[in-house]
Amino acid sequence: MFERFTKEARAAVVEAQQVARGTRSATIDTRHLLASLSSTAGPAADALRAAGLDPAEVGARARRAVTEGEPLDAGALAAVGVDLDEVRRRTDEVFGAGALDRAGARTTRRGKHVPFTDDAKKALELSLREAVRLKDKGIDGRHLLLGILRADCPGGRVLQAALHDAGTDVAALRTAAERSARTAA
Amino acid sequence: MTEQTLVGAAAGDDPGEGLRAVRALRDLADRLETLQVERARGLGWSWQEIADGLGVSRQAVHKKHGRRL
Repeated sequence: MFERFTKEARAAVVEAQQVARGTRSATIDTRHLLASLSSTAGPAADALRAAGLDPAEVGARARRAVTEGEPLDAGALAAVGVDLDEVRRRTDEVFGAGALDRAGARTTRRGKHVPFTDDAKKALELSLREAVRLKDKGIDGRHLLLGILRADCPGGRVLQAALHDAGTDVAALRTAAERSARTAA
Repeated sequence: MTEQTLVGAAAGDDPGEGLRAVRALRDLADRLETLQVERARGLGWSWQEIADGLGVSRQAVHKKHGRRL
């Protein structure tokens, strides 16, 4: 299946590994995939934009969805007397806004393989099916996006929420992704 | 959660809560290290100076941050 992925789609799948390492996740799910897809320039980001979304914002949302309640745990830090808000305020001041979160994403655990969850595998399979359905030869970022939308998965729910907040819906994004997939073919 | 157990968790007598705090502290320290090392390099600090600041060997700092910076 991977031999049919375009360079960009393959890069997004590889980058999802990096996202997962950055967030210290034990597995890669569709939120990691969505985060890497939306931060890579290409057809997926174009489709998001065409549907009225800001790809960078979608990526940030996906990362947030992953890190909420994970390692940098404000509650646990408060229990030992560390005020994370205060730490954040100071690091924003010295290193720029959002520095602490960016630093987390950059701390990579090299060499450790992070496995895909079943729903992420399912989304990848569905992206192949979307490509077949649209009679496209290669699987690119748009097909991955359609696969994530098709699968019942956490990444899909992040997209749904983003679309909802932007006053649009899944159908609009699906149409945007399908249309651009057609014109590119 | 009752008020009793909330207080217990904050005081650190619950191992689960205590371990979570250790993990969070480690993660926070890692992030601060990343930011500080990056900034120090940007300001022209040598790997040796950074290593001295962190109290580790130059090799250790370079191995951890060298590829990224």
